[in-house]
Amino acid sequence: MTVSTIQDVEFGEELPAFKPDTSLENVRIFVAAAGWGAARFTDHEAARKEGLPGALVPGIMSQGFLAAMIHQWASDARIVKIDTVFRAPVMVDQPHYITGIVTDINAEDSYVEIDLTVSNEAGETRVFGTATVNLA
Amino acid sequence: MEDVETLREKYLNLDYDEKTFEVDQDKIIAYAKACGEIAPRFTDPTHADFQAPPTFPSSLMAGRHLPEDFPRFGGIGMDAGKAVEPMLPIRPGVQLKGRTHLHDIYTKTGRSGRMIFLVSRMELYDPEGKHVANADTSTVIRERSSE
Repeated sequence: MTVSTIQDVEFGEELPAFKPDTSLENVRIFVAAAGWGAARFTDHEAARKEGLPGALVPGIMSQGFLAAMIHQWASDARIVKIDTVFRAPVMVDQPHYITGIVTDINAEDSYVEIDLTVSNEAGETRVFGTATVNLA
Repeated sequence: MEDVETLREKYLNLDYDEKTFEVDQDKIIAYAKACGEIAPRFTDPTHADFQAPPTFPSSLMAGRHLPEDFPRFGGIGMDAGKAVEPMLPIRPGVQLKGRTHLHDIYTKTGRSGRMIFLVSRMELYDPEGKHVANADTSTVIRERSSE
């Protein structure tokens, strides 16, 4: 269901599942756009030489995934604040899943609070966050 | 061991960095698409409300991470999180000015000792001086014992 207004939102509603593109090719595009060209994001071998298990998805890209998920749920939603905690690395070329759940609705001012997580295939939370969204 | 209250009194809310950023159209489109954005206002430059995605300010890095005379704690700083408060749309071609200050300093103590959290905030302004966004970076440092 496409969400357009605050009336379309239900407390406890889960946002449609979102599987982000964590491929090395996509991460390279992202870091070029962001100006974050460190090898630990773009090269598995270089990351291993730094003692990492492989290349990492930048935290700011995970944050971008969370925002994109909100817009895929409600394309006109205006993000008022998004706060993300980087709990553990998100690994490049490994599947991850994003979930979101509506935890509060302020119908009078048209604001919604959403809890968000990025998890790996083992179900371990790697990034979590909260967003405040305005649905006019 | 540094006293956090003293650090807060000395360093909070004082700008220690100022930097300008150019907002490039192609880069914000690539940024948005790589994140999975499909809303045309972030991906289509012909859209009437075309703008950078809301998390774009998180990618803008200050020239300095911390004030010049800020004490070192002996541990390695780790990126603990990012927060963004978008206030106005960021349009391509605009030059943004970012002013950075320490917004918060606090500690948490666990089994392995004290961890110091530093929250730096970059306030972004457009050429007219309008405040367009805040971008916070949280860094955590596990303090090394001096013994």
